[in-house]
Amino acid sequence: MRGAKNKKQKEQSHERKRVGLSYGELVWRRFTKSRLNLVCLIFVLFLFLLAVFAPFIANDKPFVIRIDGKLYFPLLRNLQPSDYCIFLAAVVVLWHAVGPPSCFRKKAGGLHRNTSGLGLSVAIVSVGAVLIFVFVPRRFDAVDYKEMVDSGKATGAIFAFIPYGYARTELASHRQPPSSRHWLGTDDVGADVLCRLIHGSRISLSIGFVAVGISVVIGILVGAILGYFGGWIDFIGMRFVEIMMAIPVFFLIITITAFFPRSFLNIMIIIGVTGWTSNARFIRAEFFKLRKQDFVQAAVSLGLPLRSILFRHILPNAVAPVLVNATFGISSAIFIEAALSFLGFGVAPPTPSWGQILSLGVSASGRFLWWLTLFPGLAIFFTVMAYNVVGEGLRDATDPRLSKAA
Amino acid sequence: MKQDEILLSVRKLHVSFSTEDGGIKAVQDVSFSIRKGRTFALVGESGCGKTTIALSIMRLLQAGQGKIISGEIIFDNQDLLKLSEKQMRRIRGNKITMIFQEPMTSLNPVHKVGNQIAEAIRLHQNKNAKQAWADAVEILRKLVVSPSNQAGVAEPEHTALPKGILCSAYPHQLSGGMQQRVMIAMAASCKPALLIADEPTTALDATIQVQILNLLDRLQKEIGMSILLVTHDLGVVSEYADVVAVMYASRIVEKAPKGQLFAEPFHPYTRGLLQSLPRLDVSAKRLEVIPGTVPEPLYFPAGCKFHPRCPIGHKDKRCRTVEPELREVQPGRYVACWYAPGYEKR
Repeated sequence: MRGAKNKKQKEQSHERKRVGLSYGELVWRRFTKSRLNLVCLIFVLFLFLLAVFAPFIANDKPFVIRIDGKLYFPLLRNLQPSDYCIFLAAVVVLWHAVGPPSCFRKKAGGLHRNTSGLGLSVAIVSVGAVLIFVFVPRRFDAVDYKEMVDSGKATGAIFAFIPYGYARTELASHRQPPSSRHWLGTDDVGADVLCRLIHGSRISLSIGFVAVGISVVIGILVGAILGYFGGWIDFIGMRFVEIMMAIPVFFLIITITAFFPRSFLNIMIIIGVTGWTSNARFIRAEFFKLRKQDFVQAAVSLGLPLRSILFRHILPNAVAPVLVNATFGISSAIFIEAALSFLGFGVAPPTPSWGQILSLGVSASGRFLWWLTLFPGLAIFFTVMAYNVVGEGLRDATDPRLSKAA
Repeated sequence: MKQDEILLSVRKLHVSFSTEDGGIKAVQDVSFSIRKGRTFALVGESGCGKTTIALSIMRLLQAGQGKIISGEIIFDNQDLLKLSEKQMRRIRGNKITMIFQEPMTSLNPVHKVGNQIAEAIRLHQNKNAKQAWADAVEILRKLVVSPSNQAGVAEPEHTALPKGILCSAYPHQLSGGMQQRVMIAMAASCKPALLIADEPTTALDATIQVQILNLLDRLQKEIGMSILLVTHDLGVVSEYADVVAVMYASRIVEKAPKGQLFAEPFHPYTRGLLQSLPRLDVSAKRLEVIPGTVPEPLYFPAGCKFHPRCPIGHKDKRCRTVEPELREVQPGRYVACWYAPGYEKR
């Protein structure tokens, strides 16, 4: 009896440390109420991992190979600076999403998880990216390791799960339907479709995230200024936003891409720069509502600088609708990229892209190559759907009108 | 610090705001001064301009809330109305701070209360995040200790909590009284010279009101700050103020040291207010009321603004046509009424 009582007391004292649920926990609880939300979130995470680790999953360079008795690591040697950048970014994103490992975590009652952490991460990623591009050499060996293994020059090779490179050209086996060698078939230059799909997810996701990142940043800056100051600044700004919204964005993007070189970076920037208007409107509306709130006035009465009032005190209260909008933005950016590539305005061919694989489905001879249409089509479909479901789930979970029901 | 030095003086302040129907005079010809270490109370009904004065001192009036037309607000030998926004920021939260009526909405829901206190400390005292957090924990701990228990023994309810747990809480996890303590901690963290308390206890229970007011009183003695207490609660005023100014329809109608005002009010409005309060020491069958309501700011009556409701003035021609100004009728006593004793002799 006594032991049980002690245990109960212990539990109570443990519970006492955590008073109530934080906003994030509430949202998470409501979000995970729906099984579909969770499945789609897991799919999104799966895509994220697939994109990050693509070179380890599909690569024509072996992890290890023994040539003339010496061990070589061609896969690691052939990692590009951009791969290292993606790894760095992934680690930082995970750090933010899951939190630092327990050994780095400060003790209870300690400081802050404030917004400066985000700034620090962005700084780490950008400085890291520059350093990587300066110091990591771009190495590429054109050795065909598989041929070496076949001819017996090398032994003990361990290949990746899908032993093909995304830029492989092997005209002898082009346009083959799915088989045991190429699970999803090959395209018009003989590259493995599955491999190109996996590598293509990197393009899709990074265009989604970077474009949305650009549009969110612009939207927040513009919206915050319009909403906080109001008056004639707001009047002129909103007319400008409305003009931007009246332009048919997709055709604008097509026109712009026609003028600029077909690069991955240009597409991200163009989608980002044209897509900020809805974010600006959300943020403006929230700031309009929040700037009259007592806590904002209290912050002003403490003599805090404008930057702190706008971005530390108002923004965190205003950001929920923009985060929801951002998930929809990611899906639409992925969709726009696929459409652009399908039309031939997207990334240039050796770089894999879902839309571009899709466009190969109808060959010059007029034959319908179903595997080149079906699989990238499904990839686009499921990805866009997953982001939309996650966005909708987030929107419902952050909607205060539903909070009573949950 | 000398006790009788004047810390802040407001001179001939006029504030108005424009609506579609014309300019509304929110504050007219208001002058008063606050001495160091003392509590000055502004009393009046809702909408009489008390809060507007408080916000004017902080220079926090927003576009829709009014515009300072003329006047001076002298603090520390400088006119606050002439300072740039940047200079003003150095005064806000540092030398003059403010606490608001609703503690729940005055705290930012997304930040831990400790971070909110620490931010003010970091900004005004050039401390790093860690020191500021430690300071915040210490200040809040001091404020949570029961004011009746001067030995510094914490209330049993709070001793059970680990140190710093209050600072790690989010505002919605705290009670109203505790939230107001957090607000006070933010306002007092930089040891301001003047604390403006805008209806600090209106949103709280009676028992908590006493605790909060005692807390302010204690802090005032510790820091030596002055308090501008904006309230409509005469009970609060009678306990905590040194000097009281009664406002009616955008003007100060009577200003006097607390004891004299409560003992012998000169202005009929003040008299009416005091008669409408239940008192323990006088047995009354029925409480007096002031007839009528406060006039709309757009339709202020001519002459003395109180005359339609005044037992003397509603019949008097002069009261209906000429507005009396605030005059000193006895040393330290000011009143704006033609019938106040000694008003016309001077």
